Amino acid sequence: MFSRIFWIARVTFLEALRQRFLAFLLLLAAAFILGSVPLRSIDFGHGELKFLADLGFGALFLFGSILAVVLPAQLLYGEIDNRTALTLLAKPVGRGEFLLGKFFGSWAVLGVFTFALTGLIGIILLVREPDVVARAMALQVVPPEVSVVGLFEHALLQWLRLGIIVSLALLVGSLAQTFLYTVVVGSMAVLASQLVWIAQDTLANPEAVLSTLMRGALWLTTRIFPNLQGYNIGETLVLGQSTVLPGTVSSLCLSAAVYLVLILFLACTAFRRREI
Amino acid sequence: MTDKPAISVQDLTKDFRVGLRGVKLRAVDHLTLSIPRGQVYGLLGPNGCGKSTTLKIVLGLVPATSGSFTLLGHDSASPEARARIGFLPEAPYFHRFLTGRELVRYCARLSGVASDRVDAATDEALELASMTEAGNRRVGTYSKGMLQRIGLAQAVVHDPELIVLDEPTAGVDPVGSAAIGKMIQAMRQRGKTIVLCSHLLGQVEQVCDRIAVMDRGRLVLEGHIDEVLAQRGVHQISVEGLTPAARQAAEEALSSHGAHVLKVDHPRQTLEDLFRRLVTGSRD
Repeated sequence: MFSRIFWIARVTFLEALRQRFLAFLLLLAAAFILGSVPLRSIDFGHGELKFLADLGFGALFLFGSILAVVLPAQLLYGEIDNRTALTLLAKPVGRGEFLLGKFFGSWAVLGVFTFALTGLIGIILLVREPDVVARAMALQVVPPEVSVVGLFEHALLQWLRLGIIVSLALLVGSLAQTFLYTVVVGSMAVLASQLVWIAQDTLANPEAVLSTLMRGALWLTTRIFPNLQGYNIGETLVLGQSTVLPGTVSSLCLSAAVYLVLILFLACTAFRRREI
Repeated sequence: MTDKPAISVQDLTKDFRVGLRGVKLRAVDHLTLSIPRGQVYGLLGPNGCGKSTTLKIVLGLVPATSGSFTLLGHDSASPEARARIGFLPEAPYFHRFLTGRELVRYCARLSGVASDRVDAATDEALELASMTEAGNRRVGTYSKGMLQRIGLAQAVVHDPELIVLDEPTAGVDPVGSAAIGKMIQAMRQRGKTIVLCSHLLGQVEQVCDRIAVMDRGRLVLEGHIDEVLAQRGVHQISVEGLTPAARQAAEEALSSHGAHVLKVDHPRQTLEDLFRRLVTGSRD
């Protein structure tokens, strides 16, 4: 089983690397990140490194999310529309194995995307760090410090977050009949997951006046959608702007793993019933 | 186990829901069919008659509305059955960036060929499909005939007992089509069961042992090719050097025995035979 998943993932990865869409988004995100360097003087009073990190991480998540929704949908529907899926699924390949192969292939591409862009952001931050530190020393304020370990941890969390989005897109794709529907509904699911913290905060607020129905709807929303905003701790990890509680990264990794297993299980179950 | 048919279909029905109102469209209508082992079996019918849907159901790619079916005596969803079949869908598309050899190797691995046998199995399949030389070219550069042939190679790389070919010659020129016909013959000689869906009736007539004809989801004819095509009450005699006098004498002789000459004309070769004789080389 693992061998078949590996081979499907490998071919999916190679196919995805050849997609113009990936190259386009990678170049666009890189241009966005590099474009922030000449604009660093407009830092809105938050400090140059924070400005560069904000824009970089924002570009990584924005373009990464678009890629994480569109790429698996494109690869899944491409194989179904072109009948490649018929050829493969007539072999002793389970539907779940096929879908997991698509997931791991797409996720591997997003790993390349995430770590390549994080590398670029890291280079920019490390190049600018000495100037910023010198200025801070001159002003006798505590200088910011770029953490390479924090950069790696942030990249890992973003990769996991994009993995959750890929699995959501595959879940929608397993149920939907068209590529466009998958992209639209998948994007809406990502938006809901990105905003689910509002529902969590509202439920946690003892002063919030909520009807039973509203409370139930909010509770359900927090249970269905993963809180993707929770993975947004890049500044804290990389620039040490505030303290990261011990175990936060591992707790987020565990949470992502649980969501990945659950969503992929649902996607595989739905895909088993699908007519190819 | 070997006495069980390669494919057995009992009272199979498939309905599709189409449109917003979910109007029922019956693609396969109470079909019962038994495909014996070791033969080339032609499944014929016009477009939309339910041939491909029947094959997809049997291969476990589409669920049936009702009815039962087995593949080599097993449930079609079972890995045992799937490991013993090869399938070439209509107008197949393969990953354009892989070479033909890489594609066949990929399919060998998915089909459960042992790691130490993958290279040898790939070479054998490429040779059978006459794709050894083109095996190192990317699939994206292949002609339509070569795509079909590499499709055949991926279908047989794991040495399956049953090979299902859905329109293997669609869009292929007569030379390529004849090459595919030869491959089918070669596979039959190896004892394989081949199910062939095709619109090329001439080819079906040449390679198939039995045929079934479907129309509007129903089976309208099934039997051995010689039995279903033979006109039992009419005989054909080919004569060389027939003069008018000889013809008159022959007609009188036949008439005296109660037989009547229905038609006398010159035998025709098929256009496909003429074309293949004139165009001997493959442009692939």
